Amino acid sequence: MSLARLELAPRPGLGESLVPIWDRLGSAGATWTGAERVAIASVARAARLGEGSTGGLDPVAARAARTVAARPASIRRSWVDGVIAAGLDQARYVELVAVVGRVVAIDTLLEALGLDLEPLPEPLAGDPSYEIDRGARLGRAWVPMVGGASIVQALSLVPAENAELERLHGPLYLTFEEMADPHVDKGLSRPQMELVAARTSAHNECFY
Amino acid sequence: MVAHTGLLSWSAQATETPIDLRAVTDPSVDPLLPGGGELVAFVDATLASGGSAAARRLNEALGRRALIAAAAVVGNFQMMNRVADATGMPVGTGRRRQDADLIEQLGLSRFDHLQEEAP
Repeated sequence: MSLARLELAPRPGLGESLVPIWDRLGSAGATWTGAERVAIASVARAARLGEGSTGGLDPVAARAARTVAARPASIRRSWVDGVIAAGLDQARYVELVAVVGRVVAIDTLLEALGLDLEPLPEPLAGDPSYEIDRGARLGRAWVPMVGGASIVQALSLVPAENAELERLHGPLYLTFEEMADPHVDKGLSRPQMELVAARTSAHNECFY
Repeated sequence: MVAHTGLLSWSAQATETPIDLRAVTDPSVDPLLPGGGELVAFVDATLASGGSAAARRLNEALGRRALIAAAAVVGNFQMMNRVADATGMPVGTGRRRQDADLIEQLGLSRFDHLQEEAP
């Protein structure tokens, strides 16, 4: 198990913090079942490897997962609107983006360290919770958010996914509170961390 | 890119660390940070699926803890870049104004595709 092996690394708690986040990919979310979330994860992983699997998902969801995973810089508003109009409603789209993002993050971490990819979790039975934030509004971004367009609220239409993003953001990079500290050091100085962050964004052609 | 190039500039200034911001978009430029060249090479190699030699060089330059931290940061921004692009996260007018020089100096506007249609 690659995530468990991370416990051997000189970064106490990193692997331990990732295991429950990974496992929750197999549980029902707000809008997708556990089996559907694992299928989304599978399609996303395959897309980054250049494979075109649908994982048993409907074609619209599979296409969305592939695009977010492998060609995020190609995404335009018209494409998002088209995906939603084709049947993937806003909340299901936001949850799909969240699942893809987490799989790509953890896969990349393991690849970067030369470790095997973690097997996808076994799907758990259960129905989606249908818990979405009815206060989210469409503003300057392309999906509704709570309190206006903000990267820390990007997934806030589906509160559980926004919370999960924050839970992963802390151990991989910085907690939202730590971001105000230019002297923070988690194995790299803050400028070194930001060089890595900015260069990754450049590689991905992500303007934000 | 704008947000974290801005945070790179801010944190370097706050910690009195020399930095050449051009290294963000031009890997031939020495970032001037300790292990900076190795960090850039590590990001590029990881995202090109060929990271083992670059990881070894980064490990030699900065140590295992730094290597793991760098891998974790790359992973995080693989996620955050997708979240930003897929939700159409705009760079706010305040940040655009604040980082106008940086955006121009590095030519970052060429990556601003939020208003465009895909080719």
